[in-house]
Amino acid sequence: MKNFLAIVTSVYCLGILSCRHIQFNFWIAALFGIILTALAALFKKNELIFLCFLLSASFLAGYLSLHNSLILPKRDIANFHQIKKAGETILDGFMASALEEKGGAFEFILSVRQVQSGNLSWSSCGKVLVRMDFWLPLTYGKNLKIAGVLNQNPGFKGGYNDFLKRQGIYLSMQIKDRRQITLVPGQGGNKLISFCLGLRAKLESVISRYLDEISAGMLNAMVLGERKQISRLVNDYMVKSGTVHILVVSGFNVGIVAFVCNLIFKFMRIRRKLRIILAIICLFVYCLVTGASNPVIRATVMGIIFLFSYFLKKEPDIGASLTAAALLILVIRPGELFDIGFQLSFASVLSIAFLYPQLSRYLGLEKCKPRALKFIFSGCLVSLCAWAGTLFIIAFNFHIVTPIAVLANILVVPLATLITLSGFAMLIAGLCLPFLAQVFSFPVSALIKLLLSVNSAVLKIPFAYFYI
Amino acid sequence: MLTTEEKKALIFLLTLFFCGLILGNLAKSSQEIKKFTRPCVELTKLNLNRVSLEELDSLKCIPKKLSLEIINYRNARQKGFESIEELKEIKGIGPKRYQRLKELFFLE
Repeated sequence: MKNFLAIVTSVYCLGILSCRHIQFNFWIAALFGIILTALAALFKKNELIFLCFLLSASFLAGYLSLHNSLILPKRDIANFHQIKKAGETILDGFMASALEEKGGAFEFILSVRQVQSGNLSWSSCGKVLVRMDFWLPLTYGKNLKIAGVLNQNPGFKGGYNDFLKRQGIYLSMQIKDRRQITLVPGQGGNKLISFCLGLRAKLESVISRYLDEISAGMLNAMVLGERKQISRLVNDYMVKSGTVHILVVSGFNVGIVAFVCNLIFKFMRIRRKLRIILAIICLFVYCLVTGASNPVIRATVMGIIFLFSYFLKKEPDIGASLTAAALLILVIRPGELFDIGFQLSFASVLSIAFLYPQLSRYLGLEKCKPRALKFIFSGCLVSLCAWAGTLFIIAFNFHIVTPIAVLANILVVPLATLITLSGFAMLIAGLCLPFLAQVFSFPVSALIKLLLSVNSAVLKIPFAYFYI
Repeated sequence: MLTTEEKKALIFLLTLFFCGLILGNLAKSSQEIKKFTRPCVELTKLNLNRVSLEELDSLKCIPKKLSLEIINYRNARQKGFESIEELKEIKGIGPKRYQRLKELFFLE
């Protein structure tokens, strides 16, 4: 079944890919899809014919899901703007994201409810990116009325605009004057997301209270997935050494959260099954706190499947959980297949999961002694597999090849592990026992400085990286 | 390769997925703009101490006579309007009209 799931997922991905190049009518494709599924049901006793029909239906399902995600509701604000180039517009809605600083300006996403153009007003939907030249104390869910000129995001060819398009954001509005924004009483949005973003803000304040700017920026990225404080220089250094993945919340962080939660609940003498359920809830909250990016969703789904298999006392399967995570993300947001973060996240885990056992067996790593040597070799091999798995994606998209990544990761990843662990300890202490957080902050800061020094040292090695 | 139950489950999920896609598509195409309303408040706020009689006249929610009253009230005072609430003092602006007008103006 697990291999079959992987085949279905691959065919589904092919369907998504085909949607970019071939254009079918939605209703004809949907009709074909239903007919193929019905035929698969009819021929379910014949293995080969069943497989052919089911895979063809999966292909069409992939095609249709991307096709459907690109269709906007008729009253969507983006449709209105394409028809009529409006001048000044008033948008009524709520903040669908937290306020973020980007390039000296402040941005947030407004979920539109009502539009007013000229002397006409109508109910609408959709999202608009709002850019402000100034700061205002705005948080997720705040009801707002914004006046300004709507602009179409240019091009949508790669980069940030492409990312916005995948989020369904086609328009932006520049705010230069405070008078353009009016706060409306009431609160919109989801209460759970609001709670998680509030918790995130609290954790960010703990980090910035106890650490200097560079260390706070690094820890924010490593633990909360917030990269806005990372300086361009540090980011460039990490990209060149192939260690930038440590600045993203991924499976490793999710694993730590699951482990810490399990440990705390065990300490509280909570029963095993309840402990697992509570750990799953904590993973879900952590996913929302860190912004639910692709690597976090992948890791959370995998983590939940792993915990669930422990719940059922069954052996967890990496391949099946990875496939299930990919399928879940692509069913919800099919456009994510074209996201580099999604590709890198799955390619690295896929190559570690499948390449590492093969290479380990081939090199006879199991028989390697002493244990310390085996541990080091294993680390090298994992790093090599992850590097090999992502090599072509990075070279194609970023035009950089980083041979030093294998060595850099062997040195940097253990340090990042320690930083993340002590960072989590500092955060928990910061919320419960502030005096302890102060003590924990010293080793965190020292480890981050050591990591940056190691990273810049490896970059001095000749041919550490080169552009293509 | 697959058991009958697994096949049934896959067919069920796929059918459900297709139904979801079709219903999603229908829901999107049915979300049309049902009605347009004409709000009293115009798009941009006007500076109460700088707005001209012509500009006030062009606003549908202010009668011509009242526009003149507002300008006269402003000209009669050296500093002009000091707060939006002063609009209440003008003859012809009751609490209801004031609620609408206060959205229309701002003061520097």
